[in-house]
Amino acid sequence: MNEKEANIDLLFRNGLKDYEVLPPFGVCDNILSAVRIKSRPYVFLRIAAAITVLTALSFLTYRWSRQVLVEPSSAVIAFNVPVSSPIIFLPTRNPQNLQERKESNVKSSSGSLSEVDNVIPFIEEVNATSFDYPDQIKNIQEAKGFYFAKNETSNSLILPYLNTSATNSIKLTYSGFQYFPEAIVAKPEKRWSIAAMASPTYYSSFNSGSDALSKQLTSSEQPLVSYSGGVAFSYKLSKRFSIQSGLYYSSLGQKVDGINSFSGFQQYQYTKGGPNFEVLTANGTVYTNNPDVFLSSQGTNRVITAYTNDVFDPKKASLQPVSTTMDQNFSYLELPVVLKFKLIDKTIGINLIGGLSYNLLVNNSVYTTVDGNKYSIGKTEGLNPLTLSSSLGMGMEYSLSSKISLNLEPTFRYYLSPFSDATGSFIHPYSFGIFSGFSYKF
Amino acid sequence: MEIKKIIKGCLAGNRRDQELLYRRHAAKLYAVCLQYSGNDEEARDILQEGFIKIFDNLEHYKYEGSFEGWMRRITVNTALEKFRSRHNLYRVDDIDTIKEPDAEPDNQDYAGLEANDLLEIIRELPTKYRMVFNLYAIEGYSHKEISKMINISEGTSKSNLSRARVILQRRVGSYTGLKKIVANE
Repeated sequence: MNEKEANIDLLFRNGLKDYEVLPPFGVCDNILSAVRIKSRPYVFLRIAAAITVLTALSFLTYRWSRQVLVEPSSAVIAFNVPVSSPIIFLPTRNPQNLQERKESNVKSSSGSLSEVDNVIPFIEEVNATSFDYPDQIKNIQEAKGFYFAKNETSNSLILPYLNTSATNSIKLTYSGFQYFPEAIVAKPEKRWSIAAMASPTYYSSFNSGSDALSKQLTSSEQPLVSYSGGVAFSYKLSKRFSIQSGLYYSSLGQKVDGINSFSGFQQYQYTKGGPNFEVLTANGTVYTNNPDVFLSSQGTNRVITAYTNDVFDPKKASLQPVSTTMDQNFSYLELPVVLKFKLIDKTIGINLIGGLSYNLLVNNSVYTTVDGNKYSIGKTEGLNPLTLSSSLGMGMEYSLSSKISLNLEPTFRYYLSPFSDATGSFIHPYSFGIFSGFSYKF
Repeated sequence: MEIKKIIKGCLAGNRRDQELLYRRHAAKLYAVCLQYSGNDEEARDILQEGFIKIFDNLEHYKYEGSFEGWMRRITVNTALEKFRSRHNLYRVDDIDTIKEPDAEPDNQDYAGLEANDLLEIIRELPTKYRMVFNLYAIEGYSHKEISKMINISEGTSKSNLSRARVILQRRVGSYTGLKKIVANE
């Protein structure tokens, strides 16, 4: 009796060991939605913290850039050029005693400025008609706040602006100096720029058709996080406008729920010259090209096959369950033509961006992912090889130097022509991404 | 992907890792749920509740022993909680009014029985017999442990196990016979 008991125990223990049954459709979503509720506050807190930090940094950077711009750090003074009324700001500790100090310094023949804190009087004595500078000029370089350099092209002495850290300053008029604002000595404007940009994008779609089937199909299709990136060339048409083009690669996709996939079917399949399975999706019909895959649908009739449940049971054939979802991926090469309008032209520039893009389909695959590995299923048929999309965005450009900028461009893209009209509906995808990258002006 | 990375991702609230964990283990755990439940709806509820507990308690997993075993224990405990909640509504011991099987079948040939057949047979057992048989024969608990788990005496546990075995042997015999007839046809 005991042996028999043990036998029946062993029969069930061994027989049910490692036995697997695919759970019903929708259980995963129910579980994950319940679990996400718990983790959501942390995600929101992190997002809120990130936004706060970014906003604070942007504000501080903006304030800093404004402060730098209002200071006359880029002004230059050149000798030996007649001028009507140049203005120089000089620091002084005691303006009332300026005249006395001036006189004493002019009388001094030593030229040592270390004895005086202020060099204003000395500047007035400079006679720089040639590069044979007086001793006094040479000594000026030792004075606080003064730095001289020889301008090779204009044969003049360049005097950058004086120490601006002083709180008190006086105006000095002198006919021997000329004040050049930055614009006069600016180099030729750089009109071309090249940028490398990339972005993760959120992809979804509008269904503009009234087809009931397509609406039913889209209800079980979820967008996948996609990405886009490429190189763009930009030409500055005017102070405000620039035109941009380039070449981008974008990968879009969607997850189709309720499709059970199994592996190990190859030994049972007998179809010749055609796909074993067809799966209806809102973007077109998926045809399998992997003979090893077996597909069945949960609750819908979107899988069309000769291997129906009454003909072939994947569980009885001990096929290995792979997944309950299927991923569709479409990759495009994009050729955009974009117009940029500069709203703010500061250290941090703000642009409005809008344009059109031709998109060439370069890859179309359907697969499921198991443990990070892709298990190929087939391809989506009926996709339009060329589509047209529009884009609208706002670009932020932070100048790291005169040539290099850091760009951030939140962009909304809408596909004017549908990916496919195979199901009788018109699926117009759209995507939103925050492109980031660097640009180089030349 | 290594299970430690998946668990870490799940703890960080990464949906992809949560989904990956589910997809990797759901089928096996759902089979356990079906084994402990009388109908598909109940099995589905056990799976959902069990997985939510798994995700909620991942931080307590110490990476000691099999992770699959840890998840299985949570699932079984969830099934037992369901059983106990019903037990509070009516005395489970009263269920033991099922008619005793007439006689034990003789030497049996179990060949040809597949896992889904065994699952179907086990699910036809009365709830308490099924619980005791699963806990004793499949999970390996002792009668003492089972008595505490489902709030019955050790004697009742032994008695239920014995009755479950008899019923199972009879059903297995019927299935095997039926299969042979189908095969001969």
